[in-house]
Amino acid sequence: MLEAILIFGIINGLIYSLVALGFTTAYGISGIVNLAHGAFFVVGAYLYGLFLQPLSNIIPQEFSFLAPVTAAILSIIITGVIGSIFYRITLHHILGDEVSILITSIIGCVIFQKLIYITMGYAAAFQFRIEPLLSGQVRVLNTYVPSGHVLAAIISLIAFSVLAIFISKTKTGRAMKALSQDLESAMLMGVSTEKMYTFTSLLSAGLASLAGILYTSALTQGVASQMWMQALAISFTVVVLGGLGSIKGSIFGGLIFGIAEYAATKLLPGGGVLQQSIPFIVIIIALLIRPKGLFGKKIEME
Amino acid sequence: MPLNTITKNFRKAYTEFTTRIYDVPPRMLAFLILVMFTLLPYLIPYGRPLREILSVLISANLMAILAVSWDLLVGRTGLISLGHALFYGVGAYGTAILYKYFGWPIWITIPLGMLAGVGIALIIGFPCLRLKGPYLALLTMALPLSVTGFLYYFGDVFGRERGIADLPRVFPGLRLYDRYIADYYLSLALLTICSIIIYKLATSKTGMVFVSILDDELATKACGINVTKYKLMSLAISGLFGSLAGAFYAHMVSGSANPRFFVDPTAILPMENSLVPIIAAILGGIGTIYGPIVGVYLYRLLQDFAFPRIFECLKAIGVTVDVYLQPHIALVAFISIIVLLIVRWPRGIARAIVEWFEDLEEPREVEEILKEKAEKG
Repeated sequence: MLEAILIFGIINGLIYSLVALGFTTAYGISGIVNLAHGAFFVVGAYLYGLFLQPLSNIIPQEFSFLAPVTAAILSIIITGVIGSIFYRITLHHILGDEVSILITSIIGCVIFQKLIYITMGYAAAFQFRIEPLLSGQVRVLNTYVPSGHVLAAIISLIAFSVLAIFISKTKTGRAMKALSQDLESAMLMGVSTEKMYTFTSLLSAGLASLAGILYTSALTQGVASQMWMQALAISFTVVVLGGLGSIKGSIFGGLIFGIAEYAATKLLPGGGVLQQSIPFIVIIIALLIRPKGLFGKKIEME
Repeated sequence: MPLNTITKNFRKAYTEFTTRIYDVPPRMLAFLILVMFTLLPYLIPYGRPLREILSVLISANLMAILAVSWDLLVGRTGLISLGHALFYGVGAYGTAILYKYFGWPIWITIPLGMLAGVGIALIIGFPCLRLKGPYLALLTMALPLSVTGFLYYFGDVFGRERGIADLPRVFPGLRLYDRYIADYYLSLALLTICSIIIYKLATSKTGMVFVSILDDELATKACGINVTKYKLMSLAISGLFGSLAGAFYAHMVSGSANPRFFVDPTAILPMENSLVPIIAAILGGIGTIYGPIVGVYLYRLLQDFAFPRIFECLKAIGVTVDVYLQPHIALVAFISIIVLLIVRWPRGIARAIVEWFEDLEEPREVEEILKEKAEKG
């Protein structure tokens, strides 16, 4: 039992930390609490589902693994572009005004939800099936885990390391890091805030889309247009546990949250219903112990 | 005529208008509007249109109380709450549970429901107010969602999806239309009293402390003021009025308390009760207290009267829109416009309009004004 809780908790936790990754990156670099992250999560999953069907018809049987990969890449790119356009039209003009940013981005979530409802219709907006990436099970120690879960967790780890390498090694990543450390000096060194922030929102929306694809295909096997609230709740919990703006923190936050959630749903009688509320309980306990999160620096992009 | 002369003449006319004709103090103006709304039920023919208009106005009045309480918390104290539906729902459930399990009359259960709102505010305020900035906003948004989970978990007590239905009406003895009129007057009186209380509070010494927390928390702390105490106070007052609105909503409009109050995936606008105060405050001006009332009325006017007309006009042109999609398309159009307006004027649209009108007035010398006053006597 304990072993199952740990294994499932860690796997779920890695996916949860990927859900929060885009959110925390955007805050760490540009200081924007972009609640529209939840909308990009949903949009990404929907686009993936829409592309998957025609692509698997076109691509020959021998290369069937190519269909989900292409669909995912297309979905990530399109969602990234949507995210950067959303940023450029709205949030860019109100940088520094916290209340307006929060309100604008949460209204953005509702706009995307309603657009999905209008374009996809009633039934698809409430339940849209996303096929799992892999079928079958894998044996981890003595526990059998669906292989889709394991794949999602591995992709999540890869995404984390790629992002970390990108930020520390490439020129663009260093420029982003410089902006987060000292805005004015970075601007004096010729880093364009506008370009970098737009690129950050593209990156963040792309990560949200990846998280949406993995989360919906592995954990829920379906997406609904109002799922952005769930995605935001997960992101908040991970971020509060790990500290907003810290990539390292979001992995640990995700792991703690994943294990706590799986333990609570398995150990409590009828705990499945309570799944929605567990983030809140975890947050409250964490806040009472450590008010600033486990890795609670303001900005830390390591 | 050159453009310059036109603007000059317009300015002159506008200045005349504001100084001579429209020289009404704001308090008087508010009173006049109140009188107008008091007479409203007698101006509409008795029957179905009366019922339709009054039912919109009743829920608008109660939503306006919620919006005003949101404004006290966010516009005056700077504590960002994105889940104000929590208090609305707690008020409704508080009174509903006391009625169902104890059978107490509503004039006991409603105040106790309000107390429950204050209690919840204090419970969440204690851990949440240790956080700053975005954390509080994130937590308040996650709260209603989490509470919904609890409602389903303890479904035997809270009644699952259906909630606690068949609550008694505030005026049980009256006939249908008379009951609507009575409900309308009660909601109008509640809105007036609540907004006057909140306005007085916001302009009192306590209110000044709230604003100073919004402006500069560190400086307020340095003045020897217990910031956490005042933040908790603001949250508790906001919770009190928010749950009052919710409790009366359960008894007046819906007749039930259900998870809808917290998060509503099935209605036109999810989290409607959380978002409408925000939209209203933006329309009316954040931090003005009276602004959100105007905002709520404007929102309901557009939603219930203007958009159906627009779709009728479209149908006349030849563009037919699916009846089920209409409210959704209207909503998307409406909130997209709101987003663009926020981007243009972050501190509220009404405030921008007022400032624009003030710019129109001719700049006058102080001596001139004094002379005018002396002429008046």
